[in-house]
Amino acid sequence: MTTLLAFARGPLFLFCFAFMVLGLLRHVLLTTWEIRRVQRRAGDPSLPRKALFRATLRWLVPLDKLREQTLFTGTSILFHVGVLLVPLFLAGHIALSARGTGLKWPALPNTAADVLTIVSVIAGVALFTLRLSLRATRSLSRPLDFALPLLVALPIATGFFVMHPALDPFGFRAMLLVHVLSADLVMLLMPLTKLVHAVLLPGTQVLSEIGWHWPADSGSRVAAALGKEEEPV
Amino acid sequence: MSRRVAVKTVLWGVVGALAVVTVARFWRGLGAVTNLSDAAPWGLWVAFDVMSGVALAAGGFTLAATVHIFHLKRFHAFARPAILTAFLGYTAVVVGLLYDLGLPWHIWHPILYPQDRSALFEVAMCVMLYLTVLAIEFAPVVLEHSLFDRPLLRGIHRWLEKYALVFIIAGIVLSTLHQSSLGSLFLIAPGRLNPLWYTPLLPVLYFVSAVGLGLMMVLTESNVSAWLFGHEVPSKARAGLGLAAAWVLLLYVALRLGDLALRGKLALAFAGTGAAGLFWFELSVTALVPMSLCFIRPVRESRVGLSLASGLTILGVVGYRFDTAIVAYARPAGASYFPSWMEIVVSLGIVSLAVLAFLFFTEHLHVFDEPPAAELPPPRPQPLSHRVLPRPLGWLRGYSLALVLGTTVAFALLPRRVLTPDLARPVPALKAMAVDGWMRARPDKLHDIGVLRPGEPVPLGATPAALLVLDGDRDWRRVIFPHAFHEWLVGPNGLRLRWRRGEAASLSSTASGEQSGRSGCATCHHANLPLERNSACASCHRDMFSTTDLFDHQAHVVALRGRDGCTRCHANSALPKTRATSTPCLHCHKNLRLADSYLKPKPTLTGLVPGYEQAMHGLCVECHRREVKEHPDRYPAQLATCATCHRAPEKSLMQRLEPYAAR
Repeated sequence: MTTLLAFARGPLFLFCFAFMVLGLLRHVLLTTWEIRRVQRRAGDPSLPRKALFRATLRWLVPLDKLREQTLFTGTSILFHVGVLLVPLFLAGHIALSARGTGLKWPALPNTAADVLTIVSVIAGVALFTLRLSLRATRSLSRPLDFALPLLVALPIATGFFVMHPALDPFGFRAMLLVHVLSADLVMLLMPLTKLVHAVLLPGTQVLSEIGWHWPADSGSRVAAALGKEEEPV
Repeated sequence: MSRRVAVKTVLWGVVGALAVVTVARFWRGLGAVTNLSDAAPWGLWVAFDVMSGVALAAGGFTLAATVHIFHLKRFHAFARPAILTAFLGYTAVVVGLLYDLGLPWHIWHPILYPQDRSALFEVAMCVMLYLTVLAIEFAPVVLEHSLFDRPLLRGIHRWLEKYALVFIIAGIVLSTLHQSSLGSLFLIAPGRLNPLWYTPLLPVLYFVSAVGLGLMMVLTESNVSAWLFGHEVPSKARAGLGLAAAWVLLLYVALRLGDLALRGKLALAFAGTGAAGLFWFELSVTALVPMSLCFIRPVRESRVGLSLASGLTILGVVGYRFDTAIVAYARPAGASYFPSWMEIVVSLGIVSLAVLAFLFFTEHLHVFDEPPAAELPPPRPQPLSHRVLPRPLGWLRGYSLALVLGTTVAFALLPRRVLTPDLARPVPALKAMAVDGWMRARPDKLHDIGVLRPGEPVPLGATPAALLVLDGDRDWRRVIFPHAFHEWLVGPNGLRLRWRRGEAASLSSTASGEQSGRSGCATCHHANLPLERNSACASCHRDMFSTTDLFDHQAHVVALRGRDGCTRCHANSALPKTRATSTPCLHCHKNLRLADSYLKPKPTLTGLVPGYEQAMHGLCVECHRREVKEHPDRYPAQLATCATCHRAPEKSLMQRLEPYAAR
């Protein structure tokens, strides 16, 4: 187990972390390039910047959606807050980073991290249950969509026991191994699955805005394709 | 996915790995990424990237001579791809050399600082000039492209075509010069190169094998591009090249064996040694088998037969370069060399880049006799409405994913010495060796010290003294430490530092055992490992230069019975579990540091101890300084200088120490 743990925390972690960073960067670059191509193709460089900015903010913090889908939106927001904050601002993670690279940043208090951890694990399981229980979401979902919230919740849940070995029912090293391996898996899957929305989400509003820009003469082309050039629109 | 896309995807993956190793090589230097050493300074990069790379690019001048000098026009279809291969091959050689040179920014130095008796100087100049010539030879192919259809460029294009022959002749001359000079490099090492490979004919053998290989490379290249692009080259022309290559290889075999026979070394090839086996294997793969295959008409007219023959020759000639540069080259015993994975990645990565460049040129320029082959098939005519959407990014998504994957795999595999900047090479500290010796007072209040062979009498006027020989990093610059004398100095019952010259006579090695008093030893032996008294210096300060971590986390987990025990050291669960926030060792291990030692125990001690050198200097120098300051009447100022301990070595010291090591 010592060897496996050393491997999961060493080369495997480096691989998954670097794959996450470069893989996400690749998505950002490819998407930016595609957006530029579509924009150039449409021949209309104007963008409603202010409205776009507001729409992006509204979708990044969708508090107004709470009124429509209270349970779903609320659970999702709680889940995301914990999933984003805890791994990045946990004091233990920052200490590991400081030891390995010398990079440090301010940490969450451990009590706050504990609360967020428990909340996001519960929210993750709730998201899974909600998705399963509603017919509309069930019919929209593929197997991976069910698995992802649980998979993301796994390193968080095991992380809680790593922080509190006294509550741990299985043993510190086994728990640490599951924690590290599941986190490695999440990082590996980020550029390969829907989890890529971690970096692409802020751009969706721009993308859909540009996606609906039509070339200046597209109306007449549609008419030509339909064979109705003479008819008024 | 077409073949070409699959090949390119793999190549981009290798390029990704190359990117990581490149950063490591130029950031951390050769020592961090290669297995090269002073005993094996020439490795894979010389044998493959330079020696083999130059040979593999020999198709350029061979085909240029065939087509443009001997006017064998039926081989014209091979000429352009051969020149492109040569151009990319030589570029790869130069790029590979940049990795291998210790000071790569000095690569232009042969121009300004010529060493006119050096074979390497000639190679450097020829490679530089020939690369320029190849660029000029290939330039018309680039200038044909519609992108360069400008009046000035058209003029240059016409001029280049008009005087092409001059450059072609220059290229052939330069190639002949340096292909052979690469062999001349080894002429200065008759004692080190195995006699089966060493011969005054080395330059000729290098040249002839390069010509044979050049022809075979052209064939392979046409095979591979036929496989990738679906081109067809007339099989008659291919068979003709195969036959020519067979004659050249026959000449090579004749030269190699004839030379051995004339110099009376042929018997060595039948001696049944490993070297003889390697010799015959290499010769068979290079020449004997492929040449026999090519002399048979149906074989050389079949694609499979010709592919096999050319593939074997390529392997064989590369093997010949490896044998002369690495395998058959004698090294000091124990200094073996095998390339690190990072060296292999650099060689493969440069080749991958060259192949990608080759594919790029063939896809966009008129390299083959057929028009350029675009990667994607031309789009089928679509309904007008669909043309509004741009074409997809093609295989770029796949290539970039391969690039990311190659990069990350290489990054994760990088050795720790690359990633951790301050990680010194480990130098385990050698424990001190106890020897018999003598001391004699000098007028300057210091002492002469000497080592005695077992049983050797003590010199006149000297006192016997038990000594320790210190050489933590085994660099043979030893410190002879009079241990018994210091025992006596710090002696029992607080008799510390009551040394006067007159008392020297009372010193003896047998007395030291009784005198090692309770508090006295702790003056220097400031810490005890569990269940030990007076632990030796090197048992904690385990590395000569690096900090040692004495703390064993797992042992504590076991001893404190698992998870409940964590709070014994990690008392505050609100803090991250780091060394700095944990309970100091001395909290539980009361006897770890001894209170009456010269070094006062630090309450925050958490198991990190300094390197051996730092520990020794810290203790000895500091104590000597303090004594000089406090007792200037007893000790000369000299006591606190380097030479007190680091004395000029006695010439016979090795002989005197030998019997102790044998015990």
